[in-house]
Amino acid sequence: MNLSLDEHRYGSPSPARADLQDVRDEELIVLVQNGQKRAFDEIVARYKGRLFSFILRMVKDPSLAEELTQETLIRVYIHATKYREIAKFSTWVFTIATNLVRNKMRQRSRRPHLISLNPAPEDDEIPVDPADQEADPTREVQREELAALINAATAKIPEKYRIPFLLREVDQLSYEEIQQVTGLKLGTVRSRINRARSRFRQLIKPMLRNEDLLEELEKIEARAAAEKDNEH
Amino acid sequence: MNMRCGKAQEYLSRAMDEALPADVAGKLERHLDACAECREYREDLQLGRRLLAGTEPALSENFEWRLQLRLSQAMQQAAADAYYPWDDPRADRKAWFRNFGTAASVGLAAVLALAMFVGPAGRTGSGSVPATVHSSAAQVAVEGGDRLPLDITRSPGAGLIGSGLQHPVSVGNLQAGNSGAFQAPRGWSGERIEDLLTIQQLRVENRKLANQLSQYEQWVNQYRAQLDRADSNALDLGEE
Repeated sequence: MNLSLDEHRYGSPSPARADLQDVRDEELIVLVQNGQKRAFDEIVARYKGRLFSFILRMVKDPSLAEELTQETLIRVYIHATKYREIAKFSTWVFTIATNLVRNKMRQRSRRPHLISLNPAPEDDEIPVDPADQEADPTREVQREELAALINAATAKIPEKYRIPFLLREVDQLSYEEIQQVTGLKLGTVRSRINRARSRFRQLIKPMLRNEDLLEELEKIEARAAAEKDNEH
Repeated sequence: MNMRCGKAQEYLSRAMDEALPADVAGKLERHLDACAECREYREDLQLGRRLLAGTEPALSENFEWRLQLRLSQAMQQAAADAYYPWDDPRADRKAWFRNFGTAASVGLAAVLALAMFVGPAGRTGSGSVPATVHSSAAQVAVEGGDRLPLDITRSPGAGLIGSGLQHPVSVGNLQAGNSGAFQAPRGWSGERIEDLLTIQQLRVENRKLANQLSQYEQWVNQYRAQLDRADSNALDLGEE
């Protein structure tokens, strides 16, 4: 990695990295295997957001999610020579990420639960209830608030359904890729994604008819589309 | 309505992922034409997907800097692990067994050697004292039955030195031979020196990156503070 301060500030890709933008992931990792660090920069640029999005929705804690995203990318770099093109590169990366997430969640579940004298509601207990939004119709639903609601809803999907669901919805892996990442049978992948979708729909159902929220979603989508156009 | 809603909703999920065979897709469409509940289900799933895509979380500003720092540390650790394999706890466990085996062998050899020297002393008055033991202390041992000799005038190692080992082991090979060329102690090679240099370079790079990160964080904080201060009079610029 070789990022200058200016490059980081303004987010403009360096010329060398721009050359790599059309290169396939599988070819990039071969370049990394041959010691080309610029290729790794391109991999980081392509995967950091997708990985973070997946991991955050699994572990819920943003700083832990960043740490695990970094750990995944570091493992990709250090073990680059172990990658063989028998699987898609994205499958390999998300297998690393999924294993890290599972280990972390297992560690967490082993930790004893302490009872606080002033119990604060856990994330799971935060009601996914748009009633608060409706109580004050003049209040604009902000993106962060919307994201918090969606994350709270996602977190309520049981882990075994959530992993294939997020790999499909957030990271757009195919059923076959999800099968490779999770080690599940193809039919199980399909049914778990279906059940997770159904559960997610139940959880967000009260929000779906909220006009403010839909308006905010349209604004977000318009901004994202404009940003994409600017990039091109 | 041939298809049940439960089945239709399962197919809807697969259709969203473009993984539904064409013939089943046709049946599903016919079901949807006739079923308002399943049409609503489809709209909700699509909206759910849009919501997930629209609320993708953003990484913190200094993510890449911290990644670079951690990567440098990880490389340093990997180089150190390769150079100092004994730091690996798994290697330690193996080493314990190996060392135990070595210690047991040496102990057994020592006991056998001692038995060779002292063994006859246990047989009081047997008359089978080896001819090699002539010291008075050995005689005491013979006479005292199970007592060990406290003083043996002849060093047990002397025989070994006399029989081939020309110098103490602790001196190593530096005195051996007449070639005069330096012989590196066991365990050293050119490659490992290079490894040490790599580790050193990585440490220097690491410190540099840590400094850069710290400067960058200071810059971000200053910028934020400027922004906070600038809020109240920022609009004045438009008046000129």
